[in-house]
Amino acid sequence: MTKLDYIRANSVHDAIQLLGDSSWKSRPLAGGTDLLVQMRLETPAYNRLVDVSRVSEMKIIDIKDGMVYLGAAVTFSEVIESDLLNRIVPFFVEACRSVGSPQIRNTGTIGGNVANAAACADSLPSLVCLDAVAHLKSLKGERQMLVSELVIGPHQTCIEEGELITHFTFRIPPPNSKSHFIKIGRRNAQSISRLSIAVMGGVDQQGLINYIRLCPGAATPKTVRFYEVENYLLGKKPEETLFVEAGERTAQAMIAITGLRWSTRYKDVALRAITERALCAIFLNENS
Amino acid sequence: MKINFILNHQPVSVDVPPDTTLLKMLRNYLGITGPKEGCSVGECGACSVLLDGLLVDSCLVLAPQVEGREVVTIEGIRSSDGGPNDLQKNFIKYGAVQCGICIPGMVLAGEALLAKTLHPSREEIRNALTGNLCRCTGYQQIVDAIEATALERSLITEQQKG
Repeated sequence: MTKLDYIRANSVHDAIQLLGDSSWKSRPLAGGTDLLVQMRLETPAYNRLVDVSRVSEMKIIDIKDGMVYLGAAVTFSEVIESDLLNRIVPFFVEACRSVGSPQIRNTGTIGGNVANAAACADSLPSLVCLDAVAHLKSLKGERQMLVSELVIGPHQTCIEEGELITHFTFRIPPPNSKSHFIKIGRRNAQSISRLSIAVMGGVDQQGLINYIRLCPGAATPKTVRFYEVENYLLGKKPEETLFVEAGERTAQAMIAITGLRWSTRYKDVALRAITERALCAIFLNENS
Repeated sequence: MKINFILNHQPVSVDVPPDTTLLKMLRNYLGITGPKEGCSVGECGACSVLLDGLLVDSCLVLAPQVEGREVVTIEGIRSSDGGPNDLQKNFIKYGAVQCGICIPGMVLAGEALLAKTLHPSREEIRNALTGNLCRCTGYQQIVDAIEATALERSLITEQQKG
């Protein structure tokens, strides 16, 4: 590692002053589980780390006016232990539970997972499903951006120099909806996502699908909702044949974005299967 | 940069460059060699320590991040007479130690679990060890040792309740 300075921020105000100080090239540090690995591999393009992991405003999990407020420095373990998040967004909790190891979950943060923007980041599909909004702050002011638009590709985001993700917000899913997350890795624990899917859905009083959001993870360079599949499912009666077709359409939509790659033969079949399973789990109460 | 923290129940103060990892500070500046450097990328868990009671990989924590906090390494796990505690004795009894390099991390992962529950299923024990790799034992004996300790500690707790 090269010469690198460290300073701890005690508040968001403090953090953005430090990040915006032009005499340094600063970078926010939260859990460090990605940053410290990168620091070993390459000479950092920054010369100061601003530690935001103890900023109390960034550790909040709360509900305000029908919106969930999730601090960017909340760790995966804190998500898993949150009664509120277990009740409202169980698929997001499930995704966090699938991250790394206990050690990684105890330190890694949601803000870091989004900002690092790995294509396989486990929190992304459910955050994108929820239309989660990232709140960014810098000396220039505040702005908000959908997580699906903030992350523009593998390890690429629109976060600007001096900017900090302070928190995320998303609307509480409708009471009739259920959610499900499935991840495929190469082993049972501490595995990197090969492919995943996050789905939320619900039916109206006639039993027809009136709420559906579907987002595959590690399938496309940009983690996005598959609106064409959602539109196909809306207003239809939940049944297995429908979900087989939805799985096929999801895989086709992925290939339309990525083209044929070395992994397509595998991902085509696997994405169909997990899409179908997730939809069956939500609408037909089938375990997966 | 001066770092003040509690190491194995004792306050310490040490001067390290700010980009030092917690692991390096413990091993190279404080002579605490229980945490091992295995993979250095947070996969193997040989460098595991307890930070404010939570299991973390000390290779992925920056030394200044522990300022004012409490760190427990394997050196801080012992019985009141200074010898091995019940969990460590069970590691020996159940043959859970072969080459030994993963064991400091394994014991701390066990302690982190037992601090949360004294009634873990084998599945829960296995989950608690997912961040600690062992290439000798095949894990069964380690799971056995933690399971036996959980049972012993829960019996003691029940007896104390009367």
